[in-house]
Amino acid sequence: MTSVQGQRTTPAAQAALLRVDDLAKSYGGVHAVAGVSFDVLRGRITGLIGPNGAGKSTALGMVAGAIKPSRGSVLLNGTNVAGWPSHKIARRGLARTFQQSSDFAGMTVTENLLTARYGQRGDTLRGALLGRRYWRAEQESLTARAADVIARFDMARMANEFAGNLSGGQRRLLEIMRALMTEPEILLLDEPMAGVNPALGERIEDYLLQLKQDGLTMLMVEHEMAVVERLCDPIIVMAQGEILAEGTMEQIRSDQRVLDAYLN
Amino acid sequence: MFVHAIGFGIVTAAVMALAAVGFTVQFGVTNILNLAYGDVMTASAFVAYVSHSAGLNPWWGMVLGGLFGAVFSVLLNRFLYTPFIRRGARLFTMIIVTIAVSLILQNCLQAIWGPDFVSANMSAGASVHMLGMIFTTSQLILIAIAAVALAGLHGLLRYTRLGKAMRATASDPELARNCGVPTRRVIDGAWLLSGLLCGLAGVALVTELGSFDFTTGSAFLVPVIAAAVLGGVGQPYGAMLGALVIGLATELAGTYFDPTYKDVVAFGVLIVVLLIRPQGIFAEVASQKEVAA
Amino acid sequence: MSLAWSFYISTVLVYLGVDVMACWGLNLQYGYTGILNFSFIIYQSAGAYVAAVLTLGPNTAGSFQQYIGGANLPFPLPIIAGGIAGGLLSAVAGVIALRRLRSDYQAMVFLVISLIATAVVTSDVGLFNGPAGLSLIPQPLSTALNLSLVGYRWFYVGLTAVICLIIYAFLRLITSAPLGRSLRAVRDHEQGAAALGKNVTGLRMTSFVIGGVIAGISGAVLVEFISAWSPGGWLYQETFVLFTALIVGGTANNAGAALGALLVPVAFLEGSRFLPQFGPPGLIDALQWVAVGLMALIFVWFWPRGLLPERRRIIKLPGLPQAGTGQP
Repeated sequence: MTSVQGQRTTPAAQAALLRVDDLAKSYGGVHAVAGVSFDVLRGRITGLIGPNGAGKSTALGMVAGAIKPSRGSVLLNGTNVAGWPSHKIARRGLARTFQQSSDFAGMTVTENLLTARYGQRGDTLRGALLGRRYWRAEQESLTARAADVIARFDMARMANEFAGNLSGGQRRLLEIMRALMTEPEILLLDEPMAGVNPALGERIEDYLLQLKQDGLTMLMVEHEMAVVERLCDPIIVMAQGEILAEGTMEQIRSDQRVLDAYLN
Repeated sequence: MFVHAIGFGIVTAAVMALAAVGFTVQFGVTNILNLAYGDVMTASAFVAYVSHSAGLNPWWGMVLGGLFGAVFSVLLNRFLYTPFIRRGARLFTMIIVTIAVSLILQNCLQAIWGPDFVSANMSAGASVHMLGMIFTTSQLILIAIAAVALAGLHGLLRYTRLGKAMRATASDPELARNCGVPTRRVIDGAWLLSGLLCGLAGVALVTELGSFDFTTGSAFLVPVIAAAVLGGVGQPYGAMLGALVIGLATELAGTYFDPTYKDVVAFGVLIVVLLIRPQGIFAEVASQKEVAA
Repeated sequence: MSLAWSFYISTVLVYLGVDVMACWGLNLQYGYTGILNFSFIIYQSAGAYVAAVLTLGPNTAGSFQQYIGGANLPFPLPIIAGGIAGGLLSAVAGVIALRRLRSDYQAMVFLVISLIATAVVTSDVGLFNGPAGLSLIPQPLSTALNLSLVGYRWFYVGLTAVICLIIYAFLRLITSAPLGRSLRAVRDHEQGAAALGKNVTGLRMTSFVIGGVIAGISGAVLVEFISAWSPGGWLYQETFVLFTALIVGGTANNAGAALGALLVPVAFLEGSRFLPQFGPPGLIDALQWVAVGLMALIFVWFWPRGLLPERRRIIKLPGLPQAGTGQP
């Protein structure tokens, strides 16, 4: 059974929300990512780990559109988005967080959430000039949704605080909440636990598991092995721009190439 | 005419090279875009002017101007720029700060010496013919001074510890910081050297121009930055090359087109370089480094 | 009120209105969208020159000033045309300069654009009469209204106020709508905004061009009042005065921008007019600039967010009565 585009529509392919094929990035003579291929399966949290300089963040950046690939394809729900600017990929249902939290520091938590959704009525110049009556209803329903998200993540107390005044962990949480406001198909997380205190980190883990149970697909780059072990399946290991292994934590643990890479 | 223009271009380039190398050394080490640099040049020129009025030999004025530039720059960084940076000022805040300093300095000079042009009072000396170009003696001395100063800098950068530390910081600040560099000494050293070259260049510039006012240095700043950026930030040899290119280009443009468009050439080069040249300028390739204090 | 005072106060009020408009325009670009537009003054100037040329009438051979174009358009067309000119020039500059660049380089590019504009207008005498600039520009509606000299001035104050209100209403529509939030998102974290599907370049251009239109209108309004405009009046330092006004007054809020406009260009610079003349000519001007520079430094150090900082927008959340501004 083949589709019009000639893709393999095997059950495996259908289960993959994101298919990366031979994705590579070179800077001058340096191969940051030397041609990686992997699938991110629907409803799973796929982990992407590896020692420093492995190219994990570069790979993530290419998938999200922040970095232009030197070659390769990125199929998001069947469409090749490789090389697209990040805002266009985001409109296709891809949300992401950043290594250094990208929350909008000069706006409140609620404003951060309200600004997330693309395509709001009052978001164009024409829409703004048409006045409050044009966009008010939509804003009210967005505000209700934001209230739900805030309640779900126990952030009610900080709802009208400037995002810049939140703690590091709270800002990371805000980033995730904001991504959810866009109702994404897939969420890319770039080291979500970095710089987060353990208590808040546990909360974030719980939330991520809940989101997975709700059916959200995720790809997570992370350094903390304990977190990866608890949350991710499958796990992809990268080193020096290439994929070394892919599998469950036990499989990874016993893979010789992985051990070599980490011990070196 | 072409060859004469080249001759002028070489003199301009010599002065510009002094200034551009000074600028790039400081910018490379500290990552602060110091828009007051041109005005320090003007101030140094006024110091030389005062010393000349007091009866000293004009070439002594150059030494004094250089010293003034060096000391003033170190103090400016220590007491103004560094405190702001310690407070967490970001790149664009520093732009406001340096422009403010530029305006303050420039207008203090105007307040003291008035808005009119002042003569640099240098006798040009006999004309010398070389390779079809005509130079005055003082122009040749300027070129020689520039060459000596730059050679001295080359020696310092290559053979002294301070120089090596500065080069390391300019090429990879993260790594340098992790290795314990830049210490305060390296930063002070960078400002000192940069200020010295700035002062020398300021006096050389007004000597070459013959007369100057409180805006002369800042008018020269954009071509200097263009030369420094063209050659690669933090690369002294690049800045020298950039100065040669821009010095020649502006003189040729001035000769063949409207002389008032001379400046526009330098402006245009700077914009094109900032917008197009990828090395260390585009946000994608070099991450936005923060300032060093 | 004596005639002299009347003249003076009405003049100051017109300048205030123009500076407030200009600060609002720059505030949209810098305060809301984070664009370090160090070339702002040239868009105000474009508006002024175009409005002047469209009021002066066609350039005749024997005229004492040369310029391109020329028509005798009735009020308010020259002012509208001034706004359009500011917007068009902004569009051109924006296409060139609005791209991902480290912020100080970006400021530098804009600064150099400003220098190029000054150089071009000063050297090309056929463009806008070079360094001498344009003068004897007829004031709008002066013959039609047939007012006394002072009466006309107060009329113009009213006109300026009306235009200010229109611009204010327009800006309110933009900044209170979701579009205003998108602009601030671009200001706060460009990559984060893009990751939410926002077209950062498009948003920047929108803000930049609208700011340019406002700049152009402010220039047109001013030139039609003072009847003259020359390069010496719009050097790159003038943009710095407006930035200082925003730093002092407070960014990203229109009240702060207006306050800054009142305090810096108007109260401070106009106020020093009242000092007894001392020292050689040019000394007071020079000291004024020193003071503006010091003001900028002092405020950036002590009150970086200005006298009226951007206020927190508190939103009521349904079902969450305890939604607060949270400290424990």
